[in-house]
Amino acid sequence: MNKLFIAAAVFSLTVPTIGVGQKEDATPIRVKHQITGLFSKARETDLRDAFAEVDGIKLVEIDFANAEATLEYVPAKVFPNAKPEQVIQRLDAMLKSASRHTFGIKPLRSTPKEKLKFIEIAVGGCDCKACALAAYEAVYKLDGVETATVDFREGRLTALIDPEKADPSKLEAALKQKGVTIKAR
Amino acid sequence: MKYRILLTFLCTLVLLPSARAQPTAFFEKNCYSCHDAETKKGGLDLKSLKGDPTSFGRWVKVHDRIESGEMPPGKKDKVPASDRAAAVKSLHGFVVKLEQAKIAGEGRTGTRRLTRVEYENTLRDLLDLPGIPLQGELPADGSAHGFDNNSDALDISHVNLAKYLEAADRALDMAIATRPSAPVVVKQRISLANPHGFVAHVLLHGDGVLLKNKQPDPEFPPAGEHLHIDQGAHERMGSFRNGASVGLFRHEDESFHPYFNEFVTIYPGQYRVRTSLWAFQWDKGKVLAARGTEAARLSIVTLTGDGRGGGHPSTVLGYYDAPSMEEKLHDFTTWLNPREIIGFNAGSLAPGANTRGKLRAMGFTGPAIACDYLDIEGPLHQTWPPASHRHLFGDLPMVEIKVGKDSTVRAPKRKLDRQEMGQGKNRPDPVKGIWTVSSDDPLADADRLLGKFLARAFRRPVDAEVRKQYVAKVADRLKAGDCFETALRWAYRAALCSPDFLYHVEPAGKLDDHALASRLSYFFWRSMPDERLAGLAGAGKLREAETLRAETERLIKDPKAQRFVEDFLGQWLKLRQIANNDPDRKLYPEFSAYLQDSMVAETRAYFRELLDKDLHAGYLVKSDFAMLNEKLAVHYGIPGVSGSQVRRVPLPAGSPRGAFLTQASLLKITSNGTTTSPVPRGAFVMDRLLGRPPEPPPPDITAIEPDVRGATTIRELLDKHRSNAACFACHAKMDPPGFALESFDVIGGFRTRYRSIGMGDPAPRGSIDPFIGIGFKLGPAVDPSGELTDGRQFKSIAEFQDLIAADRSALLGNLTRQFAVYGTGRDVSFSDREQIAAIVANAEKKGGGVRTLIHELCQSRLFQTR
Repeated sequence: MNKLFIAAAVFSLTVPTIGVGQKEDATPIRVKHQITGLFSKARETDLRDAFAEVDGIKLVEIDFANAEATLEYVPAKVFPNAKPEQVIQRLDAMLKSASRHTFGIKPLRSTPKEKLKFIEIAVGGCDCKACALAAYEAVYKLDGVETATVDFREGRLTALIDPEKADPSKLEAALKQKGVTIKAR
Repeated sequence: MKYRILLTFLCTLVLLPSARAQPTAFFEKNCYSCHDAETKKGGLDLKSLKGDPTSFGRWVKVHDRIESGEMPPGKKDKVPASDRAAAVKSLHGFVVKLEQAKIAGEGRTGTRRLTRVEYENTLRDLLDLPGIPLQGELPADGSAHGFDNNSDALDISHVNLAKYLEAADRALDMAIATRPSAPVVVKQRISLANPHGFVAHVLLHGDGVLLKNKQPDPEFPPAGEHLHIDQGAHERMGSFRNGASVGLFRHEDESFHPYFNEFVTIYPGQYRVRTSLWAFQWDKGKVLAARGTEAARLSIVTLTGDGRGGGHPSTVLGYYDAPSMEEKLHDFTTWLNPREIIGFNAGSLAPGANTRGKLRAMGFTGPAIACDYLDIEGPLHQTWPPASHRHLFGDLPMVEIKVGKDSTVRAPKRKLDRQEMGQGKNRPDPVKGIWTVSSDDPLADADRLLGKFLARAFRRPVDAEVRKQYVAKVADRLKAGDCFETALRWAYRAALCSPDFLYHVEPAGKLDDHALASRLSYFFWRSMPDERLAGLAGAGKLREAETLRAETERLIKDPKAQRFVEDFLGQWLKLRQIANNDPDRKLYPEFSAYLQDSMVAETRAYFRELLDKDLHAGYLVKSDFAMLNEKLAVHYGIPGVSGSQVRRVPLPAGSPRGAFLTQASLLKITSNGTTTSPVPRGAFVMDRLLGRPPEPPPPDITAIEPDVRGATTIRELLDKHRSNAACFACHAKMDPPGFALESFDVIGGFRTRYRSIGMGDPAPRGSIDPFIGIGFKLGPAVDPSGELTDGRQFKSIAEFQDLIAADRSALLGNLTRQFAVYGTGRDVSFSDREQIAAIVANAEKKGGGVRTLIHELCQSRLFQTR
């Protein structure tokens, strides 16, 4: 099962490189990627706005639950002469630039979902998108955190973590350091 | 008839020596008993006082004391008036003779260089660079006879010369166009919460809020129980770029410097600045109507180093009204230099007060100032090349100069156009290639251009021979391979460092027309004559009385006369020293930069009003109006004044305010920030307003230290001091004005009791802002009564004002001397006294107004003679 998943992921990464070296293949492709910065449902609009500013990339679908998005573009047109490993880096740079570094793109996660653990932390903070971004970034950069959401109005932060690499106390410490109040459970 | 004339002539000859000799008989009878070698009272041995120029100053005092009746002491009624008059007349002649001998030995007025202020103004006007900063880099000028433009104070050293070279280069760099077209005009809207600034940071902590449609911005709720975290995340998320207004509760302080730092000037020039301001009352999350009109200060800040942090040097642009819940658009043009930005301060809010409570903004109720935005547009050029360039190179065309192995001339040096400050979002508009002026006939053009420039720079026609010398410099540089611009620049640089430019060149005796034009323009503009004034001088018409009167009037009314107002008051009334002390925060917590700036604005506006309305000299010490803004009106307890702009306000009957004597600026300058003393205040009044400077204190006398604990009053301390006979003579003269001014504290507030940080009663808040904590107490009562040396008594400041305002002639006489010293650049001499008296008499005949007095001075021989 794991091998199949990895194969699928690798395939999805290599799809954009089809046509590299070819003269003019105008066939658009659809690719799914993980999106960073998608920490609340309300951020979907921001993501659409950001992609609207990226030439040649069409945002087809957002999967908020998994923090993923399906993109459509013509590789030869958007990434001419790009090596396979460069494509996702360039996509990431384009989205970061369009979103002032509040969104990013990375490969689909390699750890199967059933191996991940859903956790919830009661937090306190300003009901403000930027504060939520700060809290999100505090936990998301930790090793083992796959996705996260923040909602200060509801007072909760959720995350999918790899239990082998992260635990709730690690997240709480990072949040405290950032200035987020951790409420008693 | 012939015999009668001859007899008169012979009598005059016979009498002349006696009229110019010491009145020895008078001295024998009235003076020697105390002032001989044995008794030597007051340190004066009149018998052995030399009758030569070295003792000139002492003889003037002997004359003045006898003339005033002060000497012989207590014998005023015993000395027959005729004896006194004869002695004074004789002494007068004797002193004049001494002065003539002194002048013959030393010369009357030394040649004087431009002061720093004059230097900067002259270059600004010469090159049409109205905002170039130069004086800050020049060595400080000295001061003599109360002013820095006196030849006795204006020495010159190698440091000056080195700085003049640098300043000339800086001015020429700015003046010379280096591109064929003007830099593109930048239009930029800046939020006060611009990234990397202080405001964004304090918004996170609740010392301000973001507002949309006069309500809290839903995307950035006010910080309450929780503060906003991570300024960078907010900047990336665009929290401060969404068009929201910034409402500030916090005054500038040591760690908070609000700047509009997204625009950092690259190109010097005129910029249009527009900002929208309003005020509100913040009430734990609600926006309500404000307590009144608040005031925000805008300033020009010069970024130093890498531009980070705060506390960079700044100059105040002005205070701008922020009416309650109603946006007010302020639109003006100002000159900006490279690295300069606009700074902001919620000026009318209480300094030191902020919202750092547990609930931050959501727990705070108080006044706030909102800034919607600041628009900046520029550099604005009416023509290109700019006027500064045309003064140097006329209409010569600009061409791209080729640089390479084949080029026969050296190209001028150019600096790269670049944004030096990382926070500046505006970018340069570089030009490709090196552009410079081109001449087909370099030496002919140099001769023509220098002919015009030198006459303006030297403020008089320039001999052909002198011009040739400068053209020869150009020729030398051209031969050496410089391009035309560089070669001519050498000549301009040399001219700007030459004595002809740096010094006031005045002929001995009567001034010629050009020297008179310069004297007038430096008097009222602190700068060179303009084209009209120079033209009248060139046509020989300036000496005509009516022309001179009309020109004097024109100069006074010109906006450039504000330089005179600021420079003269800065020295006569020592306004330059306004920031020399910071009032003690415990004793005077209500003091703020806004109050201090308002103090200075009042004094300047009042002087301007005296000039404009030609008011008499009594207004120097007593007035029925004041020049106030809301800040000062509240400080003075005068109701009904709103807003930051200073305007004429009628005073309620009995108010001591208005005149210079009781203006907060002077009261602060004559204090030490903690306490007041009648001695320096009295000395200031005697010297600056009444023209009777007291003797300097003996070297071995220690200053009296006031008791801030509130146990002993300064008057009690002084009484002990005055009981010493040696001290009494001087203190009897200078203490009374100081006693009257004891009614005012160190920041010019009226008081009936001294403030104390020790003993005393709880102090009422009065007009102090409710957001300012009060820690002082009320100590002993103030006693403002006193007695003048002539026996007249006063019980209050108002009675004192009445006494000295009655002697308008004395006040006018002193003002005449102050104007004369400032306008001519030399002290008034003993023999000038008759002319001064005549000027005063003429002015009084015409109503005694201050502007009339200035006209009479300008028409006088005193003013028109070196």
